[in-house]
Amino acid sequence: MTSGRRRTVALVVCGLGWLAATGTASAHGGSLAGGGRESLTIPTWLFLSTGGAAVGASFLLASFVTDRAFIERIHGWGRPLSGGFEGILRLAGQVVGLAGLAAVLVVGFLGPTNARTNLAILLVWVGWWAGLAMTTYLVGNSWATLNPFKTLAGILPTLNRRYPARVGSWPAVGGLLVLVWVEVVSPLADQPRLLASVVAGYGVATLVGAFIFGPDDWFAHADPVERVFRYYGRFAPFGRDEDGLRLRLPGMDLSTPRLVDGPDEVAFVVALLWVTTYDGLVTTPAWRDLTTPIVESGVPPHLLYPVALAIGFAFFLGVYRLAVRFARDISDTYLAPAVLAQRFAPPLVAIAVGYHFAHYLGYFLVLAPSLAIALTSPFANPAVVPTVDLPAWFGALALASVIIGHLVAIWVAHAAAYDLFPARLQAIRSQYPFIAVMVFYTMTSLWVVSQPEVALPHL
Amino acid sequence: MTDTATQPVADTAATRTDDTAYDVPADATAHTCSYCGRPFARESWLALHRGLAHPNELDDEEIEAFRAAHDEEEESLSTFRLQALGALVLIYFGFLMVYALV
Repeated sequence: MTSGRRRTVALVVCGLGWLAATGTASAHGGSLAGGGRESLTIPTWLFLSTGGAAVGASFLLASFVTDRAFIERIHGWGRPLSGGFEGILRLAGQVVGLAGLAAVLVVGFLGPTNARTNLAILLVWVGWWAGLAMTTYLVGNSWATLNPFKTLAGILPTLNRRYPARVGSWPAVGGLLVLVWVEVVSPLADQPRLLASVVAGYGVATLVGAFIFGPDDWFAHADPVERVFRYYGRFAPFGRDEDGLRLRLPGMDLSTPRLVDGPDEVAFVVALLWVTTYDGLVTTPAWRDLTTPIVESGVPPHLLYPVALAIGFAFFLGVYRLAVRFARDISDTYLAPAVLAQRFAPPLVAIAVGYHFAHYLGYFLVLAPSLAIALTSPFANPAVVPTVDLPAWFGALALASVIIGHLVAIWVAHAAAYDLFPARLQAIRSQYPFIAVMVFYTMTSLWVVSQPEVALPHL
Repeated sequence: MTDTATQPVADTAATRTDDTAYDVPADATAHTCSYCGRPFARESWLALHRGLAHPNELDDEEIEAFRAAHDEEEESLSTFRLQALGALVLIYFGFLMVYALV
């Protein structure tokens, strides 16, 4: 046992060394994103295959950790946090959430029309979708309390109809895809009036749903935003279980059985991963070059985007299901494919988290001063707003976070496989298809992150 | 101890599946756990499962079977570790050389 542990420690050290090595390699790609091709010292193919190899090698390293008790200890580690201040904190959170919603609606409709100074735009994109989402997976899910629509739905009456179990979370899957489509194709980040209208529309739809089925069922199953934050929150070190607040290691809660329950929830996790990719993919020069002939041949661009979104989602889901089938064959298990699909879906959340962080950390830091100014004077329209200039090495951080998301995913899947299979070699083998998919997905993600961003073509 | 399952145990009608949903091919041999009913394709996996999932309920024979399966597993794991180490070395030096050339 002791020699096993010593070996484990030695391997962890090796792994860190490997990470440091990939960090240097990634730095070159980062300067590409920062502009200036001449600073790229290695060719793109080598940069991409280094990222892919880092993921593959991490799997091999994780496979050395075969001590079941050690894995369970890491994932079970945690301590309960208790305090009597929760009630006050909840009330304060609800008030802040409602104030935020009111600010978005009032300033969105009545404030300055300049996107760079309007509080509604800055609050939704910088404060909420970049900032709050980052605190959700770095600290804990506060949206469950802040969500103003949930607070309102709790006050309003409800018909309390039975939520159809057959429908499950499919409305959330569809809702997520629709929201991302609207976000990508419409100038939601440029026109405050439009943004306020969309927020109001989403609010009305949510409140109607909560009115019919009751807020508990609606937010637990059908609301896409609540679900995104709930999954992101499972990555965070602070979480909630039966005993109240609990501290744990980041990402380790993703291996909990039944976190993802049913094919609809698997589809939601896959959709979450796909939309984060889609969001970045449509602003690459390659997307523009690929779609230009399609648009020129007469396909309306307004059709192109939702169709591409749907096709991509179907492709991601298909690849995931294929990987599940291969994993089942390789591991020679009699567990139903649905069981494997559900246990190996939560690790994908870690990848989505890494990608979100890569995408939005810089965005948040650049625009945070503008948000602060807008918060102090919501109706002023200053000619110049402060922004932060990011240092050149910042791109490396984005690339590192993509890789780290994958590493956490590999480890969580490793632990889930150990939990699922009695034989350890069987558990390791079950991961081969998923690792192959992950290596491919890492390379795609790194490629998207390293591409220069262009304006959304054809719209 | 050994059972040949002729029917899949999985309740395919249920939309919610948990870790007890199984799908055994009609012509396959299944070694089924007498404590929880989970089927396995190999007898050694069943022995390992009994030791891991029901450690306090086993009789002497089953404990012995678990020990034997565990030893066998350790052996195959060390073979795998060697292969994995070989692959790591290959990846590392492969990239080292590529980086030196490019």
